[in-house]
Amino acid sequence: MSSDAITIPALQIQEKPWVDLLHEWVTTVDHKRLGILYIVYALVFLVFGGIEALIIRVQLMHSHNNFVSPQVFNRMFTMHGTTMIFFVVMPVLFGFANYLVPLMIGARDMAFPRLNAFSFWLSAFGGLLLYFSFLGGSGLYGAGSAPDVGWWAYAPLTARAFSPGHSSDYWTLALLVSGFGSIGTSINIIATILCLRCPGMKLNRMPLLAWLNLVMAGMVLIAITPLSAAQIMLLIDRYLGGHFFDAQAGGSAVLWMHFFWIFGHPEVYILVIPAFAFLSEIVPVFSRKPIFGYPVMVAATICIAFVSLSVWAHHMFTVGMNSYANSFFAITTMAVGIPTGIKIFNWIGTMWGGRILFKVPMLFCLGFLFQFLIAGLTGIMQAAAPFDWQLSLSYFVVAHFHYVIVGGILFALFGAFYYWCPKMTGRMLSERLGRWHFWLFVIGFHMTFDVMHIPGLLGMPRRIYTYEPGRGWDTLNLIVSIGAFIQAIAILVFVWNLISSYFKGAKAGNDPWDAWTLEWSTSSPPPPYNFATIPVVASRRPLWDLKHPEDPDSLYE
Amino acid sequence: MDTLLATEQLGQDPGTPREIESPAPTTWPLILAFGFTLLFSGLVTSMSVTALGAVLAVAGCVGWFREVFPREHEVAVPVLPDDFRASTERRVVDRLPVAAEQVRAWLPVHTYPVSAGVKGGLAGGIAMAVLACAYGVLKAGSIWYPINLLAATAYAESLKMGPGQLNSFHADGFVLALGLHAFVSTLVGLLYGVMLPMFARRPIVLGGLIAPVLWSGLIYTMLGLLNPLLASHIDWYWFVASQVAFGLVAGLVVARQSRMLTRENMPFAMRAGVEAPGIISPHGEERP
Repeated sequence: MSSDAITIPALQIQEKPWVDLLHEWVTTVDHKRLGILYIVYALVFLVFGGIEALIIRVQLMHSHNNFVSPQVFNRMFTMHGTTMIFFVVMPVLFGFANYLVPLMIGARDMAFPRLNAFSFWLSAFGGLLLYFSFLGGSGLYGAGSAPDVGWWAYAPLTARAFSPGHSSDYWTLALLVSGFGSIGTSINIIATILCLRCPGMKLNRMPLLAWLNLVMAGMVLIAITPLSAAQIMLLIDRYLGGHFFDAQAGGSAVLWMHFFWIFGHPEVYILVIPAFAFLSEIVPVFSRKPIFGYPVMVAATICIAFVSLSVWAHHMFTVGMNSYANSFFAITTMAVGIPTGIKIFNWIGTMWGGRILFKVPMLFCLGFLFQFLIAGLTGIMQAAAPFDWQLSLSYFVVAHFHYVIVGGILFALFGAFYYWCPKMTGRMLSERLGRWHFWLFVIGFHMTFDVMHIPGLLGMPRRIYTYEPGRGWDTLNLIVSIGAFIQAIAILVFVWNLISSYFKGAKAGNDPWDAWTLEWSTSSPPPPYNFATIPVVASRRPLWDLKHPEDPDSLYE
Repeated sequence: MDTLLATEQLGQDPGTPREIESPAPTTWPLILAFGFTLLFSGLVTSMSVTALGAVLAVAGCVGWFREVFPREHEVAVPVLPDDFRASTERRVVDRLPVAAEQVRAWLPVHTYPVSAGVKGGLAGGIAMAVLACAYGVLKAGSIWYPINLLAATAYAESLKMGPGQLNSFHADGFVLALGLHAFVSTLVGLLYGVMLPMFARRPIVLGGLIAPVLWSGLIYTMLGLLNPLLASHIDWYWFVASQVAFGLVAGLVVARQSRMLTRENMPFAMRAGVEAPGIISPHGEERP
């Protein structure tokens, strides 16, 4: 059984016919290749979601515009939200977790390599199923194509009376299928971290990236389950005559809201905790100092995970809950700010007194710090129920969560790309193109999302198809749309950087950043087995110990 | 020593194997995932798609099962020579001698025990309460007025009270206000215990004056937005005075406690006082 030897991609990848190469990638169970597949798949969907965003922005560029029909507009914002959350950010974060966690904990692969492949393919087919709705969504009824009920899919919009055809079913089934993939990946991450750490790597010596992905994976298990349950209930409503969400037959539309947001708000933290993980690895290396307050960072993450499971109904202040519920969810939402603030202080504490290197990964991390702070502050503002009553469902809220997702998570992700791509490809990304990417994206981001708060404050509702002139929204929306196109240009620069550096970039070597965690002790890209000999570690920074035998961390931990 | 062992293992190990067994590539997870997706997709396409999905899913399960039973299918991957050499671009720096065999010092070298923060917080809380009650008696005409206001920050029933009710005793509001005051005072006291040693110069000016004025300013600006009704009941001069009283007393009490060596890098068992032979560093317990 064990007699056949596989080829080494790093050595022979250029010599193979493309069919063989494709076969290798399709049948792979290697965590690094699956990680790259997740990342590439997410980047492809990023293009789809980005095009949908641009269509939305062109439509809103000026008043009384009819660039697309109202029906298409509804599909665009539904598909944009669903794609970006479920088929871009989650897969790309799973991709990085897949690639990095085994390398950082000194393991040869994930605990369940085949489950890993199965989970990836489920996620991938889920995304394809969603987009197949553009072709098959009209079903027998000839009504609609892609889903158009918003990414929350609130009842009763999803009832058969209001959503004939199959468009909502595609949404439900795609998320259900990809949800099973997410659960599989999370189980794998948890098992890998708990069972496959190399000798000497106690929990309190684990890199923060592994710690934070452990917490994230636990949250996925808790948060995806109610969403999957709700989707099955919705299918029962639509196909088997159930009435879970049918208020006219004893069901409750508010029940769907609770189910969705019990998933939906922890989901924000599921997405942002891996972004925290990237910062916790990148900021110390480019500050030339160990992370400040390692145990507190771990505790704050666990605290965020715990508290974030009890904040969901702040999305429902306008539904009409009683004052006790409003108070509870307002207080818990504000309380999340405490551990999050601790983290921000600790990253600043890490930089404090350090010899900061302003390389591109660090620039994106600094952008994250500034923008995530502002996103947090507008979040605290909306945690106050009376404030939220005024601005819920307005463009202020859209600006706030894009500040979190784009200004926070996407900036951290870009930092992660610039930091770990040399490890994945063996080539450095261009620093010059990276700076162009950073500054264009910063300008575009702030033009779009800073300005977007103002029409929200002026009363512009989210998901509005078009608007009357003379309400003070025209110029602001024009600026927002121009900013969106600048961001698109920045993304093109990034994609060009990825492609050109892959072929012509400078050789990275094993450890281009003079870093301290185990992945930098392997070759770039790492061999299929990661480590010829399983390493033994004695501190949180094993490569520091190796480079500074006269002053190892192990004496002080 | 652990570190030397790590060095040897991470570098060129003479015991490195020539090949390593890894899980073999397989298509069965892909087939199972595709079958699983088609199984669901039949709901929105046709039953024949569901049937195809079921066939693929069963085939995927069987193929996967055969992949791992009776023995996991693995392939031998030849080990590549790796010329990794640990090197750093870090500049050589001068070191200040702090102690024998020690090249790092944990700052602050001395800190306060947790109990100092608790004592400081409770003492500051009492000082603040005395001043707030004095305000109630002298300016508002009732000692219960500031207590009911404090309860109103978290208790909707207290916020609904009219002027007459604000001046009378309410057991539920009193219990809530007392608990809230003690809790927050203790927390801020703990924060003082942690932070004051980091600001070696003029800790009382920082903790007693600057910090209370800063957080009073923050509350003043935010409360008007978050809860204007509550803000309209507050006399801000007295409010700031009571915060400063808290800060001064808490700061003084914390600063008068005896300090101890920072124990941040000691094992948890030692810090928790658990008797566990063998966990004390050979370098001894005393360190800078």
